[in-house]
Amino acid sequence: MRSLRGQTAIVGIAQTPYYKRGTSPDSEMKLALRAIVAACEDAGIDPRDVDGFVSYGSENNTAQKLLPGLGTRELRFGALAWTHGGGIPAAVGVAAAAIQAGQADVVAVYRALAEGSNQRLRVAVTQNDTPAQFLVNGIDMVLQRSAMRTRRMIEVDGVPPETLEALAKVSYHHAQNNPGAVAHGRMLTSEAYHASRMISEPYHLYDCSRENDGAAAIILVSAERARDLKQTPAYVLSVPMGASHDGGSREDNHEPYSSVGMIGLARRMWAESGYGPKDVDVAQIYENFTGMAVQSIIDHGFCTAAEAGDFIRFDNLIAPSGALPINTSGGNLADGFIHGMGMMVEVVRQIRGTSTNQVPGAKLSMMAGGPGDSMTSTGLFGSAETL
Amino acid sequence: MSSIQRIRGGIGADEDYWLAIERGELRISRCAHCRKWMWPANVRCGDCGSWEIDWERIEPVGTVYTWTRNHAVSEVLAERQADLPYVTLLVELPQAGGARVAGVLEGNEEHLRIGARVRGRFAGPEERSKGYATIVWHIEEDA
Repeated sequence: MRSLRGQTAIVGIAQTPYYKRGTSPDSEMKLALRAIVAACEDAGIDPRDVDGFVSYGSENNTAQKLLPGLGTRELRFGALAWTHGGGIPAAVGVAAAAIQAGQADVVAVYRALAEGSNQRLRVAVTQNDTPAQFLVNGIDMVLQRSAMRTRRMIEVDGVPPETLEALAKVSYHHAQNNPGAVAHGRMLTSEAYHASRMISEPYHLYDCSRENDGAAAIILVSAERARDLKQTPAYVLSVPMGASHDGGSREDNHEPYSSVGMIGLARRMWAESGYGPKDVDVAQIYENFTGMAVQSIIDHGFCTAAEAGDFIRFDNLIAPSGALPINTSGGNLADGFIHGMGMMVEVVRQIRGTSTNQVPGAKLSMMAGGPGDSMTSTGLFGSAETL
Repeated sequence: MSSIQRIRGGIGADEDYWLAIERGELRISRCAHCRKWMWPANVRCGDCGSWEIDWERIEPVGTVYTWTRNHAVSEVLAERQADLPYVTLLVELPQAGGARVAGVLEGNEEHLRIGARVRGRFAGPEERSKGYATIVWHIEEDA
């Protein structure tokens, strides 16, 4: 069977500081360049040798714009994965496929956001990709639609609402060990969570992700080349993208309704990688909203809706001791949000052993892309031992 | 047809839905060949391959499939700021094969719950609905 399994590896990672949205001292373009150059330095690769560029969502800093500043010797490949946070592992997959097919040798996967150079992410996303029936009825692209889906998950599927709080508290807990996290030094208590204002029921303020200025990048090369570079390679095991027959752009008429689109992707990922949910050492679960991440965990098969109350508990999700430590840098909620790309960097840190919330001996490191996107993606990455 | 700017972002085949609402009718698209209900509307039936689409009129009655009470809106929904908090719904339409349409709830919220029976009222174009005529839903008294 043709497969991307183990053919490529992430050998360089970097992110700029997270700035409060609208306060970056640098333009979005400069942020993108800083992240890519720093990721090259991390990898020990000359930035001029990056010949492929992949991003996702509404990334504006295209390969052709980056070329002059990087001094690219020859631009050979550029692509954008469709959809929003759902496109992150997919972008890695596009990069891996390009390398495996001989179309590029060194590919940067990156995302940069700066409100001063662009517009607010949620505005950019909502205005360009929201069907009329939502906008005319007071519903935006993500928030209210996610809240409605989470209500059904709670009331019909029977997932306890305490799982949302657990997700939020896990992210804030991990952020306390991460000096770069936006919420570093600010612990989230149950009292503060419940006292926070409602945004869209059942979501409190603390159920919602942030928006920050910043950029993050990773560098991908062939597995063969990775072995000669200075960093511990994080091998790409499986990065499926897509949607099921009953998914895609159906304006919340997809089935099953509670699902965030990960059921088929997870099945493909476990099949291609040869691993299953019980094998995963650590996972970054993209949370635009806590309830959507809860469903992402269920979609991936880590637990069923009936088991969610037992599985999705604070103690079970924290590093180093939980059965499935998640969002170990603080996630989109508490580390910071550059459209989720920071999570991809954390996936690699865990395999290298350099996370601020390291899971001891982590070998299999997962990232779930944006839950609920009409097309999304997920990914499993591993150390050399997992190949 | 009103001269308002139509919103992009969906499949782009729902113009007849909005035109019907302007006339005070709820119409949902249905494949003319295999009779499959299609919502959101499409230009082709992915099941049987037919390009012929009917728009069938149904009563504006349904049940609350799910809902949220909104306490904040982004800049994109600035026209709704003064309405906060307000409730939005996904309404399941039994006469259209269980198709789910989005809407705003008006009136008494006492019996608001998943499964509550709702009936639609045709509302003319407003700023808050971005110039579109809409169906606004209320909970049936005997729910």
